[in-house]
Amino acid sequence: MAEGFVIHELIFDGVRSLADAALTGTPLESYAGSLAVITATMISCVAILGVFMLSMFVILWLERKVWARMMDRRGATMDWRSLWVGEQGVTAGEWWKMLPFGIGTPIGALNRWLNKVMGNESEHATVDRVGNRSWFGAWWALPGFIQNIADGMKFLTKEHMVPNRADKTIFELAPFLIVTSTVVIIGFMPFSAGLYAINPELSVLFAFAIFGIAPIGVFFAGWASNNKYTLLGGIRSAAQLTAYEIPLLITVLGVCVVTGTFNFVELGEFQHSSGSWNIFLMPLSAGLFLITMIAEVERIPFDMPEAEAELVEGWWTEYGGMRWGLLFAAEYMRVWAACIMFSVMFLGGWNAPLAGTFSAIPVFGALWSMPGVLWTLLKAWATFLIFVIARAALHRIRTDQILEFGWRYLLPLSMFQLAVAFVLRLKFFNAENIDSGAAGGSAWDGGTGFAWTIPLIITLVSLIVFTVYIKDVDKDPPGRPYHVYTTEPAGTHLAGKE
Amino acid sequence: MWITMGPQHPMTHGLWTLRVKIDGETVVDTEPELGYIHRGVEKICESRDFTQITPYCDRLCYASAMTWAHSYIYAAENLLEVEVPERAEYIRLIANEMQRIASHLMWLGAYTPDTGNLTVFVWCLRDREMFLDLMQELGGSRMHYNFPRVGGVKRDLPIGFADRARAKTKMFLERMQEYEMLLDESTIFLIRTQGVGYAKAEEMVNAGVTGPNVRAAGVNYDVRWAHPYSVYDEIDWEPSVEKQASIKGADCYDRYRVRMEEMRQSALMILDALDKIPGGADTHYSPGDEMILSKAPNRAPEGASGFHHFEDPRGESMFYLQGGGEGRGKSPYRMSIRSPMFITIPFVAKTMIGYKIADIPAIMGSFDPCIGETDR
Amino acid sequence: MSDKATGASWMVSADQNESAAKAAVSAINSHFSKAGVVASVLKHSSGSKRSYVSIECPPEHWLALAKWLRFDNGVNHCSMITGIHHPDGGADKGWEVVAHLMRMPVKNQEPGVAHVMRGGELEGNDIPMEYEVGIILPPSTTPTVPSVQSVWVGADWNEKETWDLVGINFEGHKDMVRVLNPHDSPVGFHPLQKQHRLRYDGFNEMYDDAQGFGRKPIDADKVK
Repeated sequence: MAEGFVIHELIFDGVRSLADAALTGTPLESYAGSLAVITATMISCVAILGVFMLSMFVILWLERKVWARMMDRRGATMDWRSLWVGEQGVTAGEWWKMLPFGIGTPIGALNRWLNKVMGNESEHATVDRVGNRSWFGAWWALPGFIQNIADGMKFLTKEHMVPNRADKTIFELAPFLIVTSTVVIIGFMPFSAGLYAINPELSVLFAFAIFGIAPIGVFFAGWASNNKYTLLGGIRSAAQLTAYEIPLLITVLGVCVVTGTFNFVELGEFQHSSGSWNIFLMPLSAGLFLITMIAEVERIPFDMPEAEAELVEGWWTEYGGMRWGLLFAAEYMRVWAACIMFSVMFLGGWNAPLAGTFSAIPVFGALWSMPGVLWTLLKAWATFLIFVIARAALHRIRTDQILEFGWRYLLPLSMFQLAVAFVLRLKFFNAENIDSGAAGGSAWDGGTGFAWTIPLIITLVSLIVFTVYIKDVDKDPPGRPYHVYTTEPAGTHLAGKE
Repeated sequence: MWITMGPQHPMTHGLWTLRVKIDGETVVDTEPELGYIHRGVEKICESRDFTQITPYCDRLCYASAMTWAHSYIYAAENLLEVEVPERAEYIRLIANEMQRIASHLMWLGAYTPDTGNLTVFVWCLRDREMFLDLMQELGGSRMHYNFPRVGGVKRDLPIGFADRARAKTKMFLERMQEYEMLLDESTIFLIRTQGVGYAKAEEMVNAGVTGPNVRAAGVNYDVRWAHPYSVYDEIDWEPSVEKQASIKGADCYDRYRVRMEEMRQSALMILDALDKIPGGADTHYSPGDEMILSKAPNRAPEGASGFHHFEDPRGESMFYLQGGGEGRGKSPYRMSIRSPMFITIPFVAKTMIGYKIADIPAIMGSFDPCIGETDR
Repeated sequence: MSDKATGASWMVSADQNESAAKAAVSAINSHFSKAGVVASVLKHSSGSKRSYVSIECPPEHWLALAKWLRFDNGVNHCSMITGIHHPDGGADKGWEVVAHLMRMPVKNQEPGVAHVMRGGELEGNDIPMEYEVGIILPPSTTPTVPSVQSVWVGADWNEKETWDLVGINFEGHKDMVRVLNPHDSPVGFHPLQKQHRLRYDGFNEMYDDAQGFGRKPIDADKVK
């Protein structure tokens, strides 16, 4: 779908005309074009960074507040409360009384009214007793959102220490490497067909090449801290990230082969004009991408490099203050970049699902055709929920098991997926049916008229294979370890019976 | 190279040091160092009355305070030759089994984050709150109860305690299914805990390790039926036992399963005891009534001694008391405490050799260390 | 509590306990009668009043007795070895070492097999039994007892603790180190000896002074 609004060009045009107007008649006149390009690029980079960071705060909020609280309390709860309300209806310091000239009085009245209307009682005695921080029902007020901003401010106030015999240059250099390489990727992330910072021809290659610089920074951090624990963490991290780069890159290669381009924007466009999202075409790739990305960003279940139980914080133990804060932010930036990449590469990016059908519906259709950037963000946030569930429900895998998994299972699977991608593109792709209009095309119809033939077949086959594979039929005890079995099936224990 | 895990370290579940010699990621040698929270309880208690010692014993193993206080009280009753009324024994059994559940939940809540799952930590603490509430009703505080007295218990079951206990225990039995659904079939948990930390039954017993650690190796030995005390012979229960997976011994997964089953057994014991308690669970006798507390002498003759083996959630604990005679008879001449973990930790330290660093918290956590009782 | 299938009880009965104790005592007495080892059956004075084996052993025969107990009587668990200082015990009794042992019917199992014992079915050397061995030493500045580290692995750290806190030497113990006290404690400092007294020794809050206002440490005028 052609985007009427390409921010990069808008900025560029504006800056160009500004540059022309400002520099006519001055000795710099002939450089107006180049200056405009540089300035426009910088402005659009900053704008995209702003969009990225604001949307990134949402994922921090999703992980730390929304999911955790919904899991336990069956109702979203608020954290702003500590500002407004406090424990058991008594504020932790009625701060509004300190405002001069009594301008805080309406705040106090609002506070009391909110407490009365959206009460404080919970039917769970435990919840109620520990100072239930909630106004039930105030889901619209984005509970807990600004906590992360407060955390960022907290990091600024902490002490920066360099260990005594640490290699000072490398110690200071490592966070720069990691954070810079992560921020550079943001430049390539398209939020919609027109909303991106820069769009080189081979943006996918660039992005993944830069994504892979971070392991060096991690290793530097682990080594330079003069600490056996961080050294172990850095070594584990280098091994793990290297092991998972390769399946990641081969998976991405498979996607690019099917799509026919190394450009992010065209990847998104292709999924519309060919009629099917890549996730249905290559579900195995989607799964591999998610798993390798979780390993690349070092989240549970792959967070052995920073395993708290053994290494305290792993390779970033010795960093304090904002350096730690930046590393922490860099981890989430990588997670968010991974989510956006997933939504662009597999979930169709800024394209609304079934756009042609739904936009025709009177009122709902207008909602459905909301700007593409919102679709990208929604899909990326939904992808992030998968990351959160994995983190909440799974254990940490041991380093040698992680490496074994990466080299012996993921690498062959990604090679297989690459072969499948070649076959798909060469044999089943119907180039005449590409259609960039409102309803999309039907390039994967495999000769039949039905636009979803090939994706449907592939998805069904994958689901069947998956179901068969996860069903555990072998109940025989010996054969442990690495064999999923239990002495009794879960949930069937009856007390006292063998 | 030698790395030092501890004394401040998230893995250690308490204040001790484990010096580990590693070759890459493999553990080649270990050296535990204990004694960081040695508080001299044995010495202090030589200047305390028998009643004053009970709070000290609560604080020995703070994760399992009720059972340690009872362990001491049984030994003191041996020394002072006291008969305990049957209703008091039932109340003690209910309290001890609740503490066993709470202690195992604390263990699970600390063990699963060691292997990486942070969710179960909060679930376990949430469920442990239920039992802490119940024990608070009995003893007055959430962690150090000072509940038993020489000759009985401090006070009777409060009004409504039986209903609350039944409701919470039944809810807990259902909640256990949630834990098992998350942990038993999670491949990652299985590959982290199966195949690591093998320990054989005979070796363990020779090394002084007892309790759930030995029951994970296929032998259902339990002090509660071997040397019966309290009213365990009147309650319907079974010592939980787990088949070991390999000829090399019991691994961490077996120890995890045996504790889950023990929690279930303890819950059933509580329900059964509430039904069978003499005088009914809904009557309330006032403190000091002879139904719950019998008169006890407060002096022990010189040369008298008493000891008692007790099934603690971590193994077999024992107190040995020697009487002080006329002059100082109100205090024990010597109080000697046998802590299961003091003996288990060196054993586990040797078990860890040959595995990876990442297995250290998995193995150490599966033996359920509590340093309060280790260092006394 | 009994099992409906076999009718045998889970609990070890009082008769089994009594007979096992008597059998053990007669075996010990017949074996070690000339060595000055005296074994007798005593009963706990409260609760279920079970019997246990109480042995008095002179220090020189302790290792032999330990080996016999382990290999011929099945005593496979060393629960605790502790020491007591008796400064006022008279000419014969200056130190005492008390060892608590247990016999547990525990055998290595095959994988996938659980050995479900029922207490009522056990017999002979399988019946669990508690043992208490008392070794009296005359007053001395270097009380010594042979070490049973080679017989039970569990005795190792128990003996370390006893030496560390009480000061009784264990002859033949490899790698004797301070285990609860700091490593750099003064040589000869063993806190559980009776000459070391607590700073507020002999003061009893409950009876003397509930708030403790009037209490003074024993070294009040000596320590700054």
